[in-house]
Amino acid sequence: MTDRIQAMRQFFITDRKHHAVRRPPADPMELARRFERENTPDYDRAAIRLCHMLEQEKPVLFEDERIAFTRTISTVPEIYTEEELTALKKEHWIHELGDVSNINVDYTKLLGCGFDAKREELRGYLREYEKQGDERAVHVLQTQISILDTVQNLADRYRQLALEQGNRVVAESLAQVPAKPPRSFLEALQMFRIIHFTMWCGRNYHNTVGRFDQYMLPYLKADLEKGIYDLDSALELLEEFFLTFNRDSDLYPGMQQGDNGQSIVLGGLNEDGTDSYNILSELCLKASLELKLIDPKINLRVHKNTPVETYVLGTQLTKQGLGFPQYSNDDVVIPGLLNLGYEKKDAYNYAVAACWEFIIPGVAMDVPNIEALSFTKAVENAVFEHLEDAESYDAFREIVRRNIFSQAADLCGSVRNLYVYPAPFLSLMMEGCAEKARDISLGCKYNNYGLHGTGIATAADSLAAIKKYVFEEQSVGKQEMIDALKGDFAGHDLLCNKLRYETPKMGNNVDYVDEIAAGLLADFADSVQGRTNDRGGIFRAGTGSAMYYIWHSKDMPATPDGRHKGEGIAANYSPSLFSRCKGPVSIIKSFSKPDLKRVINGGPLTLELHDTVFRTEDSIQKVALLVKSFMDLGGHQLQLNSVNRDTMLDAQKHPENYRNLIVRVWGWSGYFVELDREYQDHIIQRMELVV
Amino acid sequence: MKKGTIFDLKEFAVYDGPGLRQTVFLKGCPLRCNWCHNPEGLRVEPQLMVSTPSCTGCGRCKEVCKHETCIACGECVAVCPLHLRRIAGQVMTSQELADLILENSDYYAKYGGGVTFSGGEPLLQAEFLLEVLSLLPGVHKAIETSGFTDEETFRRVVEQLDYVIMDIKLFDEELHRKYTGVSNSKILTNAKQLCAGDKPFVIRIPVIPGVNDNEENYRRTAEWIAGAKMLEQVELLPYHKTAGAKYTMVGEKYRPLFDTDQKVQILQNIFREYGIRSSVL
Repeated sequence: MTDRIQAMRQFFITDRKHHAVRRPPADPMELARRFERENTPDYDRAAIRLCHMLEQEKPVLFEDERIAFTRTISTVPEIYTEEELTALKKEHWIHELGDVSNINVDYTKLLGCGFDAKREELRGYLREYEKQGDERAVHVLQTQISILDTVQNLADRYRQLALEQGNRVVAESLAQVPAKPPRSFLEALQMFRIIHFTMWCGRNYHNTVGRFDQYMLPYLKADLEKGIYDLDSALELLEEFFLTFNRDSDLYPGMQQGDNGQSIVLGGLNEDGTDSYNILSELCLKASLELKLIDPKINLRVHKNTPVETYVLGTQLTKQGLGFPQYSNDDVVIPGLLNLGYEKKDAYNYAVAACWEFIIPGVAMDVPNIEALSFTKAVENAVFEHLEDAESYDAFREIVRRNIFSQAADLCGSVRNLYVYPAPFLSLMMEGCAEKARDISLGCKYNNYGLHGTGIATAADSLAAIKKYVFEEQSVGKQEMIDALKGDFAGHDLLCNKLRYETPKMGNNVDYVDEIAAGLLADFADSVQGRTNDRGGIFRAGTGSAMYYIWHSKDMPATPDGRHKGEGIAANYSPSLFSRCKGPVSIIKSFSKPDLKRVINGGPLTLELHDTVFRTEDSIQKVALLVKSFMDLGGHQLQLNSVNRDTMLDAQKHPENYRNLIVRVWGWSGYFVELDREYQDHIIQRMELVV
Repeated sequence: MKKGTIFDLKEFAVYDGPGLRQTVFLKGCPLRCNWCHNPEGLRVEPQLMVSTPSCTGCGRCKEVCKHETCIACGECVAVCPLHLRRIAGQVMTSQELADLILENSDYYAKYGGGVTFSGGEPLLQAEFLLEVLSLLPGVHKAIETSGFTDEETFRRVVEQLDYVIMDIKLFDEELHRKYTGVSNSKILTNAKQLCAGDKPFVIRIPVIPGVNDNEENYRRTAEWIAGAKMLEQVELLPYHKTAGAKYTMVGEKYRPLFDTDQKVQILQNIFREYGIRSSVL
């Protein structure tokens, strides 16, 4: 990292000095009340809010910066009052905050032509619709033109300030973009920043970045060829650009700081079998490695021919303990998406939405996180309602399958009449929207809904326990099991221990339970197959959990795997929290057994490795091979953590959640929670020294 | 068919030889190194291990115990609600252990690795080990050993291996006796045997502050192995205070004879002088 980037990192990230230019939070309801009073149509509300934000914004420039645009307004106003929203919710499915989120716009639709040409294009459609007398379409297009004007106006004010402050670089960029298409890598990055900034101002969120290394490559390549940059100076510029993702991110909506969906996808198979991984992909990995910042989040698309060196670069990044890159396996994801009906060119062009849901840039108004199915609930209900009468394990298992089907039917049935707030600016970057004067919130080429699936390990472990003890060994009576669960194992300590610690658990490469898990996932896939939503899309089953792993476990009674009432379940696609797995190889083998092509909404296996396995070049190579092995075995998506100090501290407070946390103490590995406090403290101290 | 005792099978061992590997820990060791971090590997017999920090003292373990001194019967293991007890040490036949290894050996082979036998001291169960090795054709086999065995046994085992990782903990015989309980003469002889042989090997030195981290020890060790054709490198493993972490679990106290707070001295340049590659793990 150069001194210049170091200084900027210090300024924006460590000291957050730019927060000084922020204006105090405002009343978020002010606009909404006016809209309610004036009975403003929803499309206008969205447009007025965005323009209001842009007009209120005051340009600010910081020393030495080459890529401008920093938020000074903290509060993005609401467009509906609470009363209005309550009324809307009575009639509609409102997803999360209501705004368009979690989709991947096609940035090239603006980057490629510039605002002036886009305006001309819109005027062309406008004239057509005027002839046809389509007032609605005319209004939509006029509104979009005025939004482009407003963004341009802010850019002009920025340019003015740059001139006043003698920042020639910014002034020159803004003389070109966003009005005209970028001529250089720098201008392209500046224009991206303007677009992304505008999206956040419209309260669109989880604004994923997509296949940045593909759409930005031409600009970089041209500059490298012209000799404007060499690889070092290009890396420096890219790092400055990456800093912009972390500048305003505390103002972005999300469950937690960092949950903002600024994900980048690197590499990936082309339709002709070649790999799109390129020099910019590599620079992105390096920039992230040097900056050690949580944004943008790096995703790596891999496949059977991905060279080990790429995994090694990824592993060096994992070593930083940020929890990425996340890997997705083209050899599984692409066939999976094709099976779901995505067109070939679209399937090959997949990116990830905010977290890990697969989404197609520019054409998908999918809602990949609309609801979640609980595998554990399907098992629990079967135990309490039907175990007594079940004559065989197969009969019992069939009831679980029926429960999965009825849950899926309920979930699919409940997400009717989706209403999403209009997003006129984003619509400019989605296929067909401008031509048809149609807002993206109403749909696009793909309108599929994704369902997460939570608690797969808990459910599979529970079924394994019932199969083994209740039906095969008959060492636990049906009523005994039901009573024990209802009473949260009170008076059934030994049974609880046996269920908890002696039953086959998913993650140990034991077919007995892994086949049950594979069956449950297949049931989930079957249960949504053929179902359509009222936007004409389909339902996609997935292995993610998002926050549902908390919501689905907190009121869940005790389960037959020995889990106590209210005790947590694993996030995403991972072993149960208290099952002690033999090691990462067994976990990888277990979790690659199901047919993951069929549950391809997204949701990674999470592996935690102690950071001492990242210590030498040789050991990093081995971790890289471990990742590759999951893909070779047919895994779909993997997220790897180098376990760090914060985890250890949390493990001290909540040892029950970290039974699988392995620490390399010296020449041996142990379970962190089993160590004496002084040794735990020592290891935590050592974490501070990890470079 | 011979029987042996193992106390762990670790997946994905990254510091135990080339490629992705699994490591089998054989129980029992003739040495008593003052810095040993695997106290459950010392005795050959299975033994009870108890993790105390999260114990709530519920007393269920005491209720089921029928013995005055622990015989590692395992009665108390099943009743602990927090699963804090386990028996370290599992007796199995060589075929059983080989089968366990073979379950995943294709996986490890695909990624350039295999199996490593560690301990304890794997050579303490040399006949068992030899039988296991004979049952693993085509698997890349390595050992992590103190080298403390007679020349003939060492030769017979190494012959069956693909890769050797051996310690030379301390060069001075008296000090070796003081800190490990045994003379190092067999060890040094076996190291010479390795140096003259055709198996790729690594020499490891656990670097213990104030014990063996002085120039003389480094130099005499380097001299002893200099010029060995198949020596890949010397690996230095700096002592960490956490070495004593498992002693309470086996009901013992950790009593180091050296100052554990002292910083270790790493002198890689000495190995460079003798043309030996070295690295710090």
